[in-house]
Amino acid sequence: MTTSNFDRRYLLMMAVGLFILLVVIYPLWQVFFRSFLDAGAFSLKSYRKVFAYPAYYRALLNSVWVSCVTAALCMVSGTLLAFLVVRTDLPGKKSLRTLLVLPYALPSFFAAIAWIQLLGPQGYLARLFFQLSGWETAPWNIYSAGGIVFVLTVHYFILVFITVAGALERMDASLEEAARASGANTYRIMREITLPLVLPAILAGGLLAFIGALANFGIPALLGMRARFFVLTTSIYYALAIPDFGLATALSSMLVVVALVSMTFQFALQKGEGRYTVISGKSVRPSELRLRSMRYPLFSCTAVFVFCISIVPIFSMVLTALLKYWGAPLAQASLTLEHFAYILKLDTGRRAIVNSLFLAAVAATLTTFVGILISYMHVKARLKGSRILDFLATIPYAVPHTVIAIAMILAWAKPPVSLYGTLWIILVAYLAVYLPFAVRTTNSTLQQIHNSLEEAARVSGAKIFPRLRDIILPLAWPGMIAGWILVFMPALRELTVSILLYAYHTETIGVVVFNLQDAGYREVAAALASIVMGLLIVGNTVIRRLTGGAAGF
Amino acid sequence: MEKIRILNLSKRYGKVLAVDSATFSVEDKEFFSLLGPSGCGKSTVLRCVAGLEEPTEGEIYIGQTRVNSTVDGINVPTELRPIGMVFQNYAVWPHMTVYENIAYPLKIKKLPKELIQAKLKVALHTVGLERLADRYPNQLSGGEQQRVALARALIKEPEVLLLDEPLSNLDAKLREQMRFELKDLQRRTGIPILYVTHDQAEALAMSDRLAVMNAGRIIQVGAPTEIYTHPADRFVADFIGLMNFLPGRVLGRSGEEATVEFLGGHRLNVADRSGLSGGCVVAVRPEDITLSLTGPIRCRVEVRNYSGNLVDYKVRADDAVLRVQTPKTEIFAEGKELGITIHRAMLFQLGEGRGSG
Ligand SMILES: Nc1ncnc2c1ncn2[C@@H]1O[C@H](COP(=O)(O)OP(=O)(O)OP(=O)(O)O)[C@@H](O)[C@H]1O
Ligand SMILES: [Mg+2]
Repeated sequence: MTTSNFDRRYLLMMAVGLFILLVVIYPLWQVFFRSFLDAGAFSLKSYRKVFAYPAYYRALLNSVWVSCVTAALCMVSGTLLAFLVVRTDLPGKKSLRTLLVLPYALPSFFAAIAWIQLLGPQGYLARLFFQLSGWETAPWNIYSAGGIVFVLTVHYFILVFITVAGALERMDASLEEAARASGANTYRIMREITLPLVLPAILAGGLLAFIGALANFGIPALLGMRARFFVLTTSIYYALAIPDFGLATALSSMLVVVALVSMTFQFALQKGEGRYTVISGKSVRPSELRLRSMRYPLFSCTAVFVFCISIVPIFSMVLTALLKYWGAPLAQASLTLEHFAYILKLDTGRRAIVNSLFLAAVAATLTTFVGILISYMHVKARLKGSRILDFLATIPYAVPHTVIAIAMILAWAKPPVSLYGTLWIILVAYLAVYLPFAVRTTNSTLQQIHNSLEEAARVSGAKIFPRLRDIILPLAWPGMIAGWILVFMPALRELTVSILLYAYHTETIGVVVFNLQDAGYREVAAALASIVMGLLIVGNTVIRRLTGGAAGF
Repeated sequence: MEKIRILNLSKRYGKVLAVDSATFSVEDKEFFSLLGPSGCGKSTVLRCVAGLEEPTEGEIYIGQTRVNSTVDGINVPTELRPIGMVFQNYAVWPHMTVYENIAYPLKIKKLPKELIQAKLKVALHTVGLERLADRYPNQLSGGEQQRVALARALIKEPEVLLLDEPLSNLDAKLREQMRFELKDLQRRTGIPILYVTHDQAEALAMSDRLAVMNAGRIIQVGAPTEIYTHPADRFVADFIGLMNFLPGRVLGRSGEEATVEFLGGHRLNVADRSGLSGGCVVAVRPEDITLSLTGPIRCRVEVRNYSGNLVDYKVRADDAVLRVQTPKTEIFAEGKELGITIHRAMLFQLGEGRGSG
């Protein structure tokens, strides 16, 4: 019997620590570090440049105001819909809810493309409007700040909806009943009791929407660049095209700062929710508000709205893919499958599909694997220092993906390790982007496995590796598969990171759809997007089945 | 020969001192229980012996091997300790059949297949699970899972068996039955058992010796009868069995006997070595009191509960309410005026330990 004190689990911990260091910490440190560097010396030149040129500081201001307005609109629409769906006797609530969440399962730049197809100068809805009104031009312009705010809102309001709906469902009915007993009528109760109680949830959801809008690249890129309206993410893209790394890193640092500040608020709000302990535990389901004569009018409005934001864009995308040419009359004679055939025959298209499948599968496998190790050390073994590992692995969650891409270029695109122009640099970036999501699912998976199951294996004489192989991994398997799909699906259609890191031969699906759309090949872009949408919807269904609805959208 | 020896074991979780310098040992072939209220640190002691927790201070020996020593920096990992353990929730692996569960420790030892099969046959027979070998745990009852866990703990022929409240998840009937099975199993195998429970009846019934714990400290170690009849302090007296606590005064003593006055002037000679004088607490077991029409201390029956083999009374005497248990030979009605006779009592210091007066 050995009496050595060395725990070989620490070996594992060091390996995982090294992985996080290479994939997350070192690259992100590079961004920060390089933003203060000019020709090898400390300098604030890059930051001065940002504030010297209106084009750059305006990007910062644009980012902030666009995100603020988006968050405000999301809070209003998300809260309203959550009230209607959770607290009233609106008919068909369940189906409405499912449909509401649908658009979020699709990438945001698909939404941008779909809304261009609908509201753009030759858009389906625009043409309908011309016919109905007799006008020659539309009173709106999708290629504008307004267009960006609109599409961002449609994409992110669901974050407010989900947090508010959750808070409303957990709210103790007796609070409202007490108000009712004191003689207040329904509308007063809503205004004076219910609304103040869910206010933290509304704000928390609003901040999530703000962070999402701030970090979004696809929507402002497709709708704003053409109108020369830049936000931080698109300015970074632009700065890299020059290329001006100093500027790109300075803009990135600012983006990170804004994101971190709002993240901190969001975190504080969620913690503060504990003070309102009324929203907790199992309690009676709150009573439903009777809409009475408003029931069907409100239902029609909601249904039309939900139909417009979830069904219409998908329909429009598929229709565009099936039309002979963009703008063709909508007669059945002009339907064709040739765009699908074309994209599948196109070298770039085929390559992109293979690349994306490869990247998504490898990223999902590696992040799930590393995730389960981190969770094991943190949740199960509770090793000293494992909390730090868990924390470090979740850092990328707070970092906009554009910045992660820049970080990879700075860290891994120069000798001695130059991955630039290869799939590997995209892979490393995906690992950083998706590691936090993987760790979150593996953490909850392992939390559900009782400690004594592993302890029994230890008592049986099993050391760390047999224990992982025989007990932990088999028990965690279903959760890991769900976690794998949860990384695979978004990675399959990733745009923000790939567009900054791709080179000839390493295009991903997102890049090809974006470039085709940007170059005016709308039908082909729509065909590829439709294929991906099909895959995503199938994957989403599978994952909801697997997890009993706990994961997926 | 001592099979487990624990010296000055302490375990601290942050500010909580879960175990406070515990010292005791378990002899060969002994059934030894750790008994105490919830949160007193019993499980922590057991987990330190298993190596699942690292002691903050102290030494642990299993057999002749020192498995823990904070002074010399020794902490043998669990997987190398010669122990078997059964967990409160059984911890039977849900993805393995009964056979695979029990065979696992042997598989880890890399024993040849034929040997594993031979040993498994015996083990399955010992716990009476031959016909269930191919089932998965979710197709087993609580008692059957319990036996799988036991067989798995015994299969590698450990030097000691550690059990953490293994019966607490079973229903009352099955718990009774498993008590006997466990006891029987231990007699047959002769394996020393360290058993953790908060159920004093269970501990008294099964143990050769037991240690009573409170707030991380070991208060008393001894055989069940000894602990029952000579509790070390008021806490133990209260925790083990039923006890009436009455305020009293020591009037004087001669040799090993003290004369106390309680219940409004009643005097009693009590065997006592505590050397107490003045105010004290007089503790009387319900079965050390008899009720009769003529007893010297007048009382009134307030509540009577008939519970099968005996009758349980609450009687008011002077200002105190006493629990009295008598055989059911004579049954008195509620409200009846009677007298009580106290045969035995113990003395404790005032304000010491827990307990209700
Ligand atoms: N991992 C831990 N972290 C912090 N405190 C702990 C931990 N484990 C146990 N404790 C504390 O140590 C004390 C003793 O715990 P222990 O589990 O040994 O109690 P126990 O006697 O087995 O109780 P029970 O009968 O309820 O199982 C308790 O106060 C408990 O809250
Ligand atoms: Mg316990």
